[in-house]
Amino acid sequence: MMDKRSLVSVVDDDESVRESLPDLLRQFGFAAEAFTSAEAFLASDLVSETSCLLLDVAMPGMSGPDLQQELTRRRQSIPIVFITAHGDSTVRPRLLARGAVDCLLKPFSEAALLDAIKAALGRPEHRPARAS
Amino acid sequence: MTASRVTHIGRWSGVHAANGDDAVADTAVNDLVSILDAVEVPIVVVRRDFTIGCFNKAAADVLGLSTSDIGRPPGAVSALAGLQRLEQECDEVISGGPEARVDLHHRHQWFVVRVSSQTRTDHRITGAVLTFTNVTVFRASIENAIYERECTKTILNTVRDPLVVLSADQRIESGNRAFYTMFGVSRDETQGVALYELGNDAAAAATLREQLGEMLTGVHASGPVEVEDVVTANGRRTLLLDAYPLSLPAHSERRVLVTFQDITARKEAQAARDLRSEEELRRSEAFLAEGQRLSLTGSFSWKVATDEITWSEQLYRIYGFEIGTPVTLEMIRARVHPEDSTLLEKMVEQARDGLNDFELQYRLVMPDRSLKYLHAVAHARRDQDGHLEYIAAVKDITAQRLSEEALAKARSELAKVARVTSLGVLTASIAHEVNQPLSGIITNAGTCLRMLDADPPNLEGARETVRRTIRDGNRASDVITRLRALFSKDELTLELLDLNEVTREVIALCVSDLHRSRLALESDLAEDLPAITGDRVQLQQVILNLLRNASDAMADVHDRPRRLLIRTERDDGEWVRVSVRDAGVGVDPQSMTKLLDAFYTTKSDGMGIGLSVSRSIIERHHGRLWAEPNDGPGATFSFSIPSDPARVADVAPG
Repeated sequence: MMDKRSLVSVVDDDESVRESLPDLLRQFGFAAEAFTSAEAFLASDLVSETSCLLLDVAMPGMSGPDLQQELTRRRQSIPIVFITAHGDSTVRPRLLARGAVDCLLKPFSEAALLDAIKAALGRPEHRPARAS
Repeated sequence: MTASRVTHIGRWSGVHAANGDDAVADTAVNDLVSILDAVEVPIVVVRRDFTIGCFNKAAADVLGLSTSDIGRPPGAVSALAGLQRLEQECDEVISGGPEARVDLHHRHQWFVVRVSSQTRTDHRITGAVLTFTNVTVFRASIENAIYERECTKTILNTVRDPLVVLSADQRIESGNRAFYTMFGVSRDETQGVALYELGNDAAAAATLREQLGEMLTGVHASGPVEVEDVVTANGRRTLLLDAYPLSLPAHSERRVLVTFQDITARKEAQAARDLRSEEELRRSEAFLAEGQRLSLTGSFSWKVATDEITWSEQLYRIYGFEIGTPVTLEMIRARVHPEDSTLLEKMVEQARDGLNDFELQYRLVMPDRSLKYLHAVAHARRDQDGHLEYIAAVKDITAQRLSEEALAKARSELAKVARVTSLGVLTASIAHEVNQPLSGIITNAGTCLRMLDADPPNLEGARETVRRTIRDGNRASDVITRLRALFSKDELTLELLDLNEVTREVIALCVSDLHRSRLALESDLAEDLPAITGDRVQLQQVILNLLRNASDAMADVHDRPRRLLIRTERDDGEWVRVSVRDAGVGVDPQSMTKLLDAFYTTKSDGMGIGLSVSRSIIERHHGRLWAEPNDGPGATFSFSIPSDPARVADVAPG
């Protein structure tokens, strides 16, 4: 049901998240990579490899929604799960309306994270496998 | 003297010898000689042959004639040598001409010498008789009179104001130079002319004639008369005439001295001044009316004894009465709001009783049922007759009142908005700052569990995640420390405060909120509170927080009265305590200390930051904030601060 080798990329300017989240994702059995910024992610060669993007909303420079827009422009339709520390309830529906799979408010539970990633990977049209 | 007498007698004897009766004649001659010698007037008889015939004693004494002069021509006598034309005059008299007079100046004395004929009984003229009348004194008095007259004339002519003497029929007798100059006429051409004919203006002339007539005929002094438009050499002038009756002993006719004063310039200046002051008065009245209109302030005066009331136009407008309607106390009473009428009546009664200034605010109910708020200030005074009178200003403060109410409402709404906004912003920023490390902590902890559960357990990985968990925990703690430091950075604005007043303001702000939450708020404010030095706004925030906290604590209370008591009191020493007692869920003793830590809360929907901030504010006022459970339900939160922080030792009240 779940592609164990799917790459989940984490883009967040917060170090705690960059350090902790990939470890947890690996415990879940995903491949995981962390990036300090949207620009760093775009510059990497893992954009097309990524099956699911865990994306922070507010970052210095390019924001999460900015990156989403850029990916759409590049026709890179990666399922996106936003994560945000701003507990503003108005942000979530807006992001979902723009095509995000889910929006998790920090701090979030393991279960919520896993559900969101499953939902992202379950989207039939986007299931790029890791290049082998 | 005797010798001269003998001489005289001898000469007068010659006269008598012609009579023929010696004895009788002798006596008669002697008498005649005595008489002639007694006369002080010198008499000299000149014969037809123009020689001195005889003379009397006075002639010898005054003119120095002696007997040897008899038979000599008068010109040979030194005293008579100065008589010009004497011989010619004597000839004319002797030949039957009229008697003549000749002046003689002799030894500083003046004489008028009458030359008359000496006629015998048969009418034959035998010579001429010279009689010497001494006119020295008379002549001197005439000269003096002439001198005096000249002086008077000079004086009159140098008087600048015209003067004229009129006869009873107002004809000009004589004027001074200024008079003739004024009318541009000469003395000769106006002699005997009626004064009123000088000015060409008929009306003025008639007035002048009438006025002068009264002056001349009347016995009463009518005072100066002003005559306008008199035509003078300087054009039409306004003259002030005054008349003084002249009574001269030798004249039975009434005369009058008329003086003229040209007051044209003075009148013009006065007219200009009148015009100006009238204009100024009009302007100042206009200013006052406009000022009253702009400031919505009317004024009135009230004479208590007669109930005479005078209103300004603006006051009519305020009361909505037609301007100019006579105002009565009844009309005023009918407009005053029923709730304020007692107050007004009381004020009126007190005002009647005596000289009291008064001030009151009252309302009017207008015909359209709208309300007007008025503020009246009255000042008592005595008018010039000593009667009591009030002068008052009445200001329409309706707009002010409404805006005050609107302002109070806006302020309370603003406070509410500010509370919500600031709390929202604060919550968001705190949430972000705290959620980041929390997120890390949870994730790391989950990872750690999984690593330990693995077979074999990944102990190295687990240690690493625990290290990260600790680090993130510290990070969250740092956030809170930073936040608290942030709050305490606010500058205090210190002023001298009455905590009761501060408390009342807070109550006013939130009383409607409390009512909406169906809470009964009671206050018990001590009267003997010392003033304290503090920041009004920050202390109000603290009190507001305590009230809100108490209100929240009672949100779920339904089985007992939701009572809230706010109390101020004097603590031991110069400390002032404010406490808020609720009947809410209460606080268990273990939570008491934690309660005031930042972010600790017993409430599901709050961050608990209010109490923490409150405590830091109170500590910065050198006071302390604490909570204690009540004997009954609920808790009491209190703070106590020193009235004079400078004098505070580090000892808080027990």
